[in-house]
Amino acid sequence: MIEIDVGLPLSRFRLEVKAELSADTVAVLGPSGSGKTSLLETIAGLRPKAAGRVTIRGERVMDTGEGFRPPPEHRRIGYVPQDACLFPHLDVRDNVRFGMARKNGAPLFQEAVGILEIAPLLGRFPATLSGGERQRVALARAIATEPRLLLLDEPLAAVDPALRGRILPYLLRVRETLGIPFLYVTHNAGEARVVAQAAIVLRGGVLAFAGTTEAAIGAMSMVDPEARFDNILSGDLESSDGSGQTASLKVGASRFSVPAEGGPSGAGRAVYSVDPEDVLVATHPLAGVSARNVRAGRVVSVETAGADAWIRISAAGVEWTCRLTKSAADELALAPGLDVWIAVKAQAFRRLR
Amino acid sequence: MEAPSDVSILLLTLRVAAIATLAILPFGILFAWRLSRRAGPGRTLAETALSLPLVLPPTAVGLLLLEALRRSGPLGRLLDGMGIEVLFTWKAVVLATAVMSFPLLVRPARTAFEDVDPRLLAMGRSLGCGPFAVFRRVALPLAWRGLLSGTLLAFSRALGEFGATIMIAGNIPGRTQTMALAIFQRTHIGQDEAALRLVGVTVALSFAIVWTSEIVTRRRSRRTEA
Repeated sequence: MIEIDVGLPLSRFRLEVKAELSADTVAVLGPSGSGKTSLLETIAGLRPKAAGRVTIRGERVMDTGEGFRPPPEHRRIGYVPQDACLFPHLDVRDNVRFGMARKNGAPLFQEAVGILEIAPLLGRFPATLSGGERQRVALARAIATEPRLLLLDEPLAAVDPALRGRILPYLLRVRETLGIPFLYVTHNAGEARVVAQAAIVLRGGVLAFAGTTEAAIGAMSMVDPEARFDNILSGDLESSDGSGQTASLKVGASRFSVPAEGGPSGAGRAVYSVDPEDVLVATHPLAGVSARNVRAGRVVSVETAGADAWIRISAAGVEWTCRLTKSAADELALAPGLDVWIAVKAQAFRRLR
Repeated sequence: MEAPSDVSILLLTLRVAAIATLAILPFGILFAWRLSRRAGPGRTLAETALSLPLVLPPTAVGLLLLEALRRSGPLGRLLDGMGIEVLFTWKAVVLATAVMSFPLLVRPARTAFEDVDPRLLAMGRSLGCGPFAVFRRVALPLAWRGLLSGTLLAFSRALGEFGATIMIAGNIPGRTQTMALAIFQRTHIGQDEAALRLVGVTVALSFAIVWTSEIVTRRRSRRTEA
């Protein structure tokens, strides 16, 4: 339960966001420059000119109408900015410890280090870390302060499809183990879908939409040219088959063939991404196909945008987003309710880490 | 009266310069920190006033100090009431060098603080630290090179101060005579060789200090380099 009703004058426009969200995990969507980072900074108390009221699970974070404007150090908000903002003069260990209270320090430190898998990095300095590693350290540093809310700003670099250094798998773990409410800024609809129960969409500083993640993603596709609509699958990775070339990812009751990974770290919880371009759609049963994952499904929705057609297909307990050319979608006469088959190569599953 | 040896002149000079530098260090750092965090006309005014000792004739600064320290002057009356005698003692040398060195400490320190990413300071606050803790745990460690360089500059300026010193401390051998004053006096009475010896010492000393300062500011720590 997060209530936001804030205003902040910015150079190009005024940020004005009023939303009552019944969820604890919220995705913040919208194009670059729509005020997403400013919203996070307002909540963290880093914008002195901000006014308004924010509550988390009924607790007031700020309420300037009542003269309640605590400084950032009294807000207990864990902020993970886009560029991580690690202290360059401290090693990873001291960065994580920076905001920790003296009491019950050790177990909390160990927990943060464990969840974010940064034990091997503890002695290193931020300048020697990759972008993804920095994000993980920044998230560890934030949760080590026992915040009542996390604010995460996805790095812009994460929009690039190389998938290196995504914070998402770790955020899912934080959600599972600690249950801290969070606001997560992302351009990736697929990520929003797996991690957040609710979402808001900003556009030009104004709230364009607030509601369920699914509905918000529809609104987002209209306003964010950088938006990505990856299929994100979170499941249990089971050991490789005999050949050692593919492994099995169990999502709900379904299993998918994914590329095998070397080493023991392969097994366990894993998050994979499949680009919407990599999902093949057929209107007849597929036979003799090289793709390892062929499933029957049903069209949920069809949307066209320019030369593209975005098809949502429910198959094997997962809702898939497929991007086709509009002419291909027309030729197949895809429409909601139609029975279809999808095919996804094992190689199209790429692990987020 | 026997003229003091080169060594005793050097020791007096080092002692006075060290005391002056240590005395202005906390004020200078705090002042630099304040300047680096503020904007607006007040800041420009403060910076201009601060830079005056750099551009005024040192004798003018000395005369202003002399006026203030006279028994009838505002500061003089206060000090006299406390039984503290400053004029024409080693304390006057400390005061003169402190005033003249202050801007040389503050300017590099201010630049060093300005180079600290304000977002890191904001991050420190968000992680639960108050303004002073952020200053101590983030700003100071990130700015230490500039602070050290400013300190060394102020110290070397203090070693060579002449004009303001002679106005309020005179040139009393063994009491207020620093190297700069001794060089002047020896040349004046025709002991050029003895004066040159002192010049040699000051050149070596200043070279060592400035060289250290250069190394400190040039060598960027490997770990903080992006």
